[in-house]
Amino acid sequence: MILIVDALNRHRFEPLLDQMFQLRARVFRDRMGWDVTVKDGRESDLFDELDPAYVLALDDDYQVIGCARLLQTTGPHMLSDVFQAILDGEPPLRSATMWESTRFCVDREALAGGRGRHTVARTTTELMCGILEYAQAAGISDIITVIDPVMDRILHRSDNAPYDYVGRTADMGKVRALAALIDTSQERIDRVRAFAGIDGDIFAIEEEVANVIAPPIGLPGDAYLREYCHQQIASANSLRERNAAIALQKALSGLHSPARSFDA
Amino acid sequence: MKPGMQLIDLADTPGEEPDFLAQLHGVCNTLGLEYASYASANPISGKIHAFTTYPDAWKDHYMAQSLHLVDPTLRAAARSIAPVDWRRLEHDNSFRDVFGPARDFNLPDTGLTIPVRGPMGDIGLFSVTATVAPDAWRRLTGPIMGQLQTAAVHLHDTVMHSDALTRILRQPHLSTREQEVLQWVAAGKSQQDIGDILSISSRTVEVHLRSAREKLCTLTTAQAVGRAVSLGLIQPR
Repeated sequence: MILIVDALNRHRFEPLLDQMFQLRARVFRDRMGWDVTVKDGRESDLFDELDPAYVLALDDDYQVIGCARLLQTTGPHMLSDVFQAILDGEPPLRSATMWESTRFCVDREALAGGRGRHTVARTTTELMCGILEYAQAAGISDIITVIDPVMDRILHRSDNAPYDYVGRTADMGKVRALAALIDTSQERIDRVRAFAGIDGDIFAIEEEVANVIAPPIGLPGDAYLREYCHQQIASANSLRERNAAIALQKALSGLHSPARSFDA
Repeated sequence: MKPGMQLIDLADTPGEEPDFLAQLHGVCNTLGLEYASYASANPISGKIHAFTTYPDAWKDHYMAQSLHLVDPTLRAAARSIAPVDWRRLEHDNSFRDVFGPARDFNLPDTGLTIPVRGPMGDIGLFSVTATVAPDAWRRLTGPIMGQLQTAAVHLHDTVMHSDALTRILRQPHLSTREQEVLQWVAAGKSQQDIGDILSISSRTVEVHLRSAREKLCTLTTAQAVGRAVSLGLIQPR
């Protein structure tokens, strides 16, 4: 199943994002040898600080088995800011109806030997459908994505071939990368779904996932407590209530180790 | 949004500014929406530019209460990349602070906000509303989401260009491909012809045209050609 996590709901899903940053470190540094920054076993870059939307593929136990990152092309994004080599010094495309997808990956180790809905191929396709369907609902007609030749072959194999490429294939350290264009048309979504035999709604119910990640009763997780304190402070009707809420937050933050910051 | 930021009603700005309000009314009339608003914080001037088709009574109340400082359709929506349906903001206490009173003014609380991110960290927020049931709202907005996105970016870019300093910093930066495509359009070639000439798909031609139109702040290709000629980016034929 697919879960969209962005700046509006990420406080409910921090443990999943933590898994995602660890998966990205394993895939992009360890397996693919990209020149990425890994800290405490977690890969992130400056684009993770720009409030992107993350498309997460989850297994039945709500573990992250795949992910991708989306940004608007009207503002700062990877092709405009760091993948200049691909564009040969040319300015990037900019469109209200085009998003950029980066850091697409699936957890090959976790899925190795998996069957049915939990295979590399199935997860890859479901993740692609997640991106296309989320983008389509947002009025986005095209996705531009920086990919390596391996990913390009996977796209071709899964009946999801890019309709074109922009710029040139460029050497990015140890790997080669190119910018592909993919439309979010219903025809393409139907084709990709048919290829993998995906039926019905692939999106997880946010409430259900949140309840598993941070149960509202019993032992609350850090994310839940943070949200609770935040709400108490925000909804205080008097200075006294507000001070009490802030005092509670301080007391709780002393009991719990501070949450890992992703902005560092 | 930084607290204490000044809120400026662009409809009151005299002089040669483009008619922003007319653009909003145009969007509402064309797409069957009730009210539309636009707001942005210009990172250089530090001002919040805003304009809206809401009734004056609500505008006065909103500005008198400085609701822009807590309004989640501005504050929260600015951090999304996708259009934010206001149902997503309902649990936010500040949503009630703003839209509780809105009900007294007979204004709908069914709406969505499209966040626009500009190249220099500038953010624009384009909101539309209508008094309809949730199902009807989805049916109404689903098919026009692409048009709303385009309208949002167009409004935002026009506003950003209306600030002299930003205008200087944001000279349209067309790629060689975009210039080539525009040049062939100026020569009267069709999209298909241009694709054949440049050995790219017709859809890629369209993508370059769309990108060029946005960089030049125009809605139609004809306008884009005109502006590119006047800026000396392509040669007139």
